Amino acid sequence: MVPPPVVTGLSPNDGPPGTRITIRGENFGAKATDLVGLTICGYDCLLTAEWKSPSKIVAISGPGKGLGDVIVSTKLGGIGTCNVKFKGYKNENIGPMKDSAVWVEETSFYPWDRHSLSSSSFQQDDPLGLSVEGTERKLSEDDLNEKFPNASGDITSENFSACWFLLENHLATSFNDLQAGLLHLKRKVEGQKEGHLSFLKTNVGAVMDQVDTLILLKERYGTDLDEFGSEPTLKLEKAIKESEREARKLYDDVLTRRDRAEKTRNALNVLSRFKFLFCLPCSIERNIKKGDYDIVINDYMRVKNLFLKRDIPVFKMALNEIERCIVGIKKQLHVKLVKMPIHVDEQKRLIRYLINLDNSFEPAWDAINGHADYLHTRMKQCYEEHKAAIVEDLNKSKNSNLSSKYSKFTALHDTNQCPQNVIYVEEMCDIISELFPDIWKLGQSYFTGELHVKVEPGHKTAFKHTVLNIMEVFCKRLRAAIIPHTLDKNMDRNTYEAWTLPDIDVMAVYLPDCLRYVRLSLANPLHEKWKVEISGSHNGITDLPLNFERAVEDLVQVISESVLRSEAREGPLLENQQAQKEFDKQIEQLLLTFYYVLDSLTSKGSSDDDDDDEIRSPIVSQLIGTPSFVYKSRNHNQKPAWEHRLLMTLANCQYTMNSVLRKTIEAFSKSGYNISPNIIRKSRTDLENLERSILESYLEQKSDPLVGTIEPSMYLGRFDWDTNITPTDLRPYAKECINNLIHVHFEVNSISSKLVDSVLPQVVQTIAEELYRLMSCVQKFSTAGIQQAHIDISALQEFFQGYSTPRAKDHFKEAMELIPPLNQKDLTIVEDILQKCRIKMRLQILCLQKS
Amino acid sequence: MAQCGGVRVHQNQFIMSKKPTVQPALHKVIMVGSGGVGKSALTLQFMYDEFVEDYEPTKADSYRKKILLDGEDVQIDILDTAGQEDYAAIRDHYFRSGEGFLCIFSITEDESFQATQEFREQILRVKNDENIPFLLVGNKCDLEDKRKVSFQEASERARQWGVPYVETSAKTREHVDKVFFDLMREIRARKMEENKANNGRGKDRKKKSIKSFLFCYKH
Repeated sequence: MVPPPVVTGLSPNDGPPGTRITIRGENFGAKATDLVGLTICGYDCLLTAEWKSPSKIVAISGPGKGLGDVIVSTKLGGIGTCNVKFKGYKNENIGPMKDSAVWVEETSFYPWDRHSLSSSSFQQDDPLGLSVEGTERKLSEDDLNEKFPNASGDITSENFSACWFLLENHLATSFNDLQAGLLHLKRKVEGQKEGHLSFLKTNVGAVMDQVDTLILLKERYGTDLDEFGSEPTLKLEKAIKESEREARKLYDDVLTRRDRAEKTRNALNVLSRFKFLFCLPCSIERNIKKGDYDIVINDYMRVKNLFLKRDIPVFKMALNEIERCIVGIKKQLHVKLVKMPIHVDEQKRLIRYLINLDNSFEPAWDAINGHADYLHTRMKQCYEEHKAAIVEDLNKSKNSNLSSKYSKFTALHDTNQCPQNVIYVEEMCDIISELFPDIWKLGQSYFTGELHVKVEPGHKTAFKHTVLNIMEVFCKRLRAAIIPHTLDKNMDRNTYEAWTLPDIDVMAVYLPDCLRYVRLSLANPLHEKWKVEISGSHNGITDLPLNFERAVEDLVQVISESVLRSEAREGPLLENQQAQKEFDKQIEQLLLTFYYVLDSLTSKGSSDDDDDDEIRSPIVSQLIGTPSFVYKSRNHNQKPAWEHRLLMTLANCQYTMNSVLRKTIEAFSKSGYNISPNIIRKSRTDLENLERSILESYLEQKSDPLVGTIEPSMYLGRFDWDTNITPTDLRPYAKECINNLIHVHFEVNSISSKLVDSVLPQVVQTIAEELYRLMSCVQKFSTAGIQQAHIDISALQEFFQGYSTPRAKDHFKEAMELIPPLNQKDLTIVEDILQKCRIKMRLQILCLQKS
Repeated sequence: MAQCGGVRVHQNQFIMSKKPTVQPALHKVIMVGSGGVGKSALTLQFMYDEFVEDYEPTKADSYRKKILLDGEDVQIDILDTAGQEDYAAIRDHYFRSGEGFLCIFSITEDESFQATQEFREQILRVKNDENIPFLLVGNKCDLEDKRKVSFQEASERARQWGVPYVETSAKTREHVDKVFFDLMREIRARKMEENKANNGRGKDRKKKSIKSFLFCYKH
């Protein structure tokens, strides 16, 4: 290894910038090109360095100041060390106005040099070497300016004017002095010239060196010119350009690869950062397979919130993909939604999903329509089936013992084979009652906003129309099935092919049944509403009037829909006189029928009224929700006591009169048809009559035995009013009488508390009458007898007071008058016993007290 | 306070024991004599074994290198001064830093021999030391035929001054090493002598000063 260079000698060891220094030392390299670096006092002086020998270099010092090292660097030895120091000091003489044999970097010390040179040396000293003290008179600058335009008195200026200068500075100087000054100036110029010469003389070496160098340079240049032509750099340039191109090519390659890597990394970054977005299509698919629509919707919402506003193409692509997925889901859901049969809740869920997915179409409305369509198809299907069955039936008509396999309800008429159309009606009703509520519920929740959909303004009427349409079709189908002759001849009969009826008479038997089913199925959807309304205000009345009312209500609806509300193509029905009359008659019939029903209920022949029973039982069983505990128990025991039935019918009667009739009328008038007052009056009187007769028969039923028992029990045990036994208490017959009345009270009250007021007073009256009769039959009273009679009668009178009619009171009074009056002593005895009785029979009194 | 002082002593010892081992002893030699007598030639011959024929007046050159003096590594620092009268004013400054002097004259030039008297006086004045290591050197002894200053004459002056006289030739390298080595030996001897004297005194002084320093603080 080559040892590093060491500087051991400097000649000279100090000097101003530009000093030529002989540097001696060791290991300065074997040849000139080995020298790669030279610093003197920290300044690079390699440019001026001249390699002489491995131990000697000549260089010119730079502007470094103060003590510093001289460091030589060689190619092989590296950066060297220095034993001796060079001391540079600033040379103030070097500047733009000073000759220098060597090139000196001026810039670095210009700032301070310039100042000292230009301002201090030229402005303070007078160039003529004269003092400026005597110049008292001065010309103003303006005057000078006037005299010498475009001139200046400043000697450093380009427009220097000697006259100006002299006038300005030496106005008072004598001519001799000026002459001397001129001489001085000349001397100075001479001296400067000499100075030049002497400078050259002292620096002859450097100058010669420079000349040599210039010559050498010229020679070199000449040889170079010969060797490389006038433009030696051309080849070099070409080579450089070539290499640059090559380098660029290489670099570009690397760059592109790097770019690609970067892109990949970025893409990966983005992927991992927005994993949620990019994985969403997959996760959506997965969740759909699992059926987790909620998650899908949630994710979709999130993605939309997060990324929809971002204007980045990749996101948009991903979003589009997701959007496509979602559209698929929507379609899928929609298909599911419309596909029947489907549960309403499920459907509601689907609707919610669809709404959450921002559907363009209206899922709720579609669902409703889907339901309606399904209902129609079901009805049609049912029709087809039964049509086919009828054909089959006709084939097998001889073999009539076989009951149809379709009939579920034949149990009611198990001995007879049910006609196909009845079964058909039943099934139709089933379909309606099965499917229609769904439509209704959906519609309800749609319009109440339960589904969180904006309700289209036109949909309300459309929905209504749909529902009505269903009903109409349903009705027409049924009519076609059962009473084809009532169908509108032109149109309906074509659309709903009339059934070929086996026998009109046979049909007639089933007509009520059919009607009942129809009613039932129609009542179903609106069932709940009714229940609430009625159970609140009336208790004690049976379901019958309610049912009737409902049936009427429904009927009105049906009528108003199918008959009264004239379709565009149907002629207005009511304008027809015939029809009007017919309609009136029908209504009358309706009311009458109800009356008959009620009437027949009261009839004692309990075994014959199958029809009524049949009508009632299924209805009741359907309406479990109503507060009819009596009926419930009755259902188990088959039938209530006749008396109970009487009471119930009575209640029904009253209710019908008070409420049902009115409502019926209202319903009709609401739907645009006024029932003629004749019919109403007639039915009202009918009902009144019925009520009266029922009441009578009930009273007869009740008070007869009650009153009848009084006499025998009064004289039980050969009792005689002429007795010796001192009374201690009420006689048993009186107690029995009270208890019986309480029983009646209970019975009536348990059916309907309202009836108590109409029933009990009647009973009390008969009792009072009987007592009066009995008292008047007594021939003789003993004292004890008198006391006893007083006690009994007054006790009864008192207890029954709440329900006593004026007539009953009269009777009691008359009975009391028949008994001989009491003396003072007996009166107190009677009072005492009565008091005791009151305490004893507190409960009974309470029972009969009017609330 | 005592502890603080202790630390101080320790630090001092540390510095003192370390310094000599790192840096070899440095002996500062100054070449004096009239212009053109061969001061630089002698120096360059000693330093680089080269003889420079062309004359270039010296201003002030510095040389320094490691040499083996009697088996001991030492550094010699040579200050080659300007002989011209122009620089006489700044000589004082140079001389102050010198430890030993080679006073050179040319045997071919009597003027230069006469000038040695001046130099001697100036050195003694500046150093204020009669026993400063000093050699009188008659150069250019290879030019015997041009001799103007006789050996006796020069020897007599050296004897008067109490310094050795050596005749050298920068061209032939005769006695070149000898003058430098002789001077360095003298310098070394002088330094050891001084060290001896100084060591006893110096150490005492130092200890004393530290003690007094501590003492001062204690009070």
